[in-house]
Amino acid sequence: MQFQKEVEISAPREKVWQFIWDVDRFISCVPGCKDAKTIEEGKRYTATMVEKVGPFKVEFPTMIEVIEREELSRIKAQASGADNKIGSRMKVDLDVSLRTQDDKTILGFVAGVDILGKLAALGHGIIKRKADQVLDEFAQAVKQKLEGDS
Amino acid sequence: MLRRFRLEEPDSVAQVSELLGRFGDSAKVYAGGTELLLAMKEGLVRYERLINVKGLNGLSEVAVDNGTICIGALCTHRQLETSSMLQQKLPALVKLEQNVANVRVRQAGTIGGNLCFAEPHADPGTLLMALGAKMVAEKSSAKREIAAEEFFVDAYETSLEADEVLTEIRIPTPGANSRSAYLKFGYLERPSVGVALALTVNAGSISDTKIAVGCAGPAPRRVAEAEALFDGKGTQEAMRNLPAAGVIAGRAAEAISDLHGSQEYKEHIVGVLLKRAFQSLVS
Amino acid sequence: MSKAMSRQHDAQFIPVSFTLNGRSQEIEVEPHELLLDVVRDRLGLTGVKRSCDVEVCGACTLLVDGRPVSACTTLAFEVRGRSVLTIEGLAENGKLHPLQQAFIEHGGFQCGFCTPGMILAAKALLDEIPNPTEEQLKHFMHGNLCRCTGYKKIIESIMAAAKRMRSKA
Repeated sequence: MQFQKEVEISAPREKVWQFIWDVDRFISCVPGCKDAKTIEEGKRYTATMVEKVGPFKVEFPTMIEVIEREELSRIKAQASGADNKIGSRMKVDLDVSLRTQDDKTILGFVAGVDILGKLAALGHGIIKRKADQVLDEFAQAVKQKLEGDS
Repeated sequence: MLRRFRLEEPDSVAQVSELLGRFGDSAKVYAGGTELLLAMKEGLVRYERLINVKGLNGLSEVAVDNGTICIGALCTHRQLETSSMLQQKLPALVKLEQNVANVRVRQAGTIGGNLCFAEPHADPGTLLMALGAKMVAEKSSAKREIAAEEFFVDAYETSLEADEVLTEIRIPTPGANSRSAYLKFGYLERPSVGVALALTVNAGSISDTKIAVGCAGPAPRRVAEAEALFDGKGTQEAMRNLPAAGVIAGRAAEAISDLHGSQEYKEHIVGVLLKRAFQSLVS
Repeated sequence: MSKAMSRQHDAQFIPVSFTLNGRSQEIEVEPHELLLDVVRDRLGLTGVKRSCDVEVCGACTLLVDGRPVSACTTLAFEVRGRSVLTIEGLAENGKLHPLQQAFIEHGGFQCGFCTPGMILAAKALLDEIPNPTEEQLKHFMHGNLCRCTGYKKIIESIMAAAKRMRSKA
């Protein structure tokens, strides 16, 4: 599943860039994400993703790895996790970009999300909708946190 | 093979409510089990306790109470499909129930369980919405009625509170010139698109239109915008509005592309079913 | 040692008194046990089959109080106080039930895997509607799948059995 989101943030680029690397605050913007930990500064992090669709709940202990980094403009990362209780695996390829437009920063991300295993039985459509919701809420939360600060 | 769980067999709704409140997410109401046990077998959900509600009295009757048709939540689909009273007053519902899954599922599965599990690819909710049904939710201390439009929140999610039990479905008896139809389409085990239409025709003029679409999206939805294209119109004008109504209803379904079909395909089928439903009611 | 014992104490056993093919049975089951497993593994009646495991194919059809259920998705304790009929219980004193006879005479089965479920479902149909139309038959039998026969012979067999059963009645 592919997703593309863009959000306009009334904050300078440097501030947005810094915010991304402030792992605790950044992770807290992802709905259902908690317990963010830095394993290797700038390179490896862990967190727990908890998502619920009706009675179906998944808990993915997630490993996040930063693959590429272009100062102030681009991050390529990969997140993966498995919920052994339910028998499902998750993999996300994330491409985050920053660009300036007038005096605002456009934060864009392209996410390739793969859910494998039992959870897929729920139906591709339901999962896609949920993932879309999560990414939307994430983008809005980042915008609010950054704009609220000034 | 199912994981071990503890069976609770309360004999009152208040007890069920109390158990749900006490054990929260680790307990679940169990009636026919036709959806729940499947999810448990797949390992998609786990419960420490199942609360068998089949022992509760008075929840498996079909009756008329002062002009309101009351269907107990524990009525099986089979009971509803063979009810002569329902055949008389709500033939569209009987036809729907006759075509739920297969005879074994209809034998065990309850209407209450169907509504509460809120599987997107299901029939009853859509028609009940077009019939103006209200769901009665009870807990230890209180009882309330939830309009069908507010009952279905999202895929597998209803507006029932954690310790509430669905006990009854109440449907106003349709008036003399009121008609309803439910049409569905699907070639997989579960329905892919469902459309319900209810309206009153008086001297060539249409009123009280209710349109609901289900199965295509995460939950059944009323489509007021499409209803407006029929209400207060003569039958000829309404017929001319059918294509537009179909497009509106298709979009309102919030169709999801999945194995049942693409979003565009489902939206198109909604329009087709709406047209056929209308033609079956207004000849 | 103590772990196994405490598990025994924790386990919940439900006494199930029921009639199986006309004879009384008394067993104890845990809540999570499925009827299909109890009938096949514990009671040794393997006519009922596990096939799709999701209530769709009908190979696990059993009659409980004369009504068809999916044994694969029925908890065993649910038959307490009820009568259960499996395919093994259909023949009486070695004499085949008219449905069984008809399936043989009319070629209503090939590999036979769906057949126990098919015949039991047909029995439930004919007990409810002794003279069904083909539409009624197909509607009732909709949930019993066959990969071999293409259904024509199954329909013929059931109709033939229905006719014979009506003439006897």
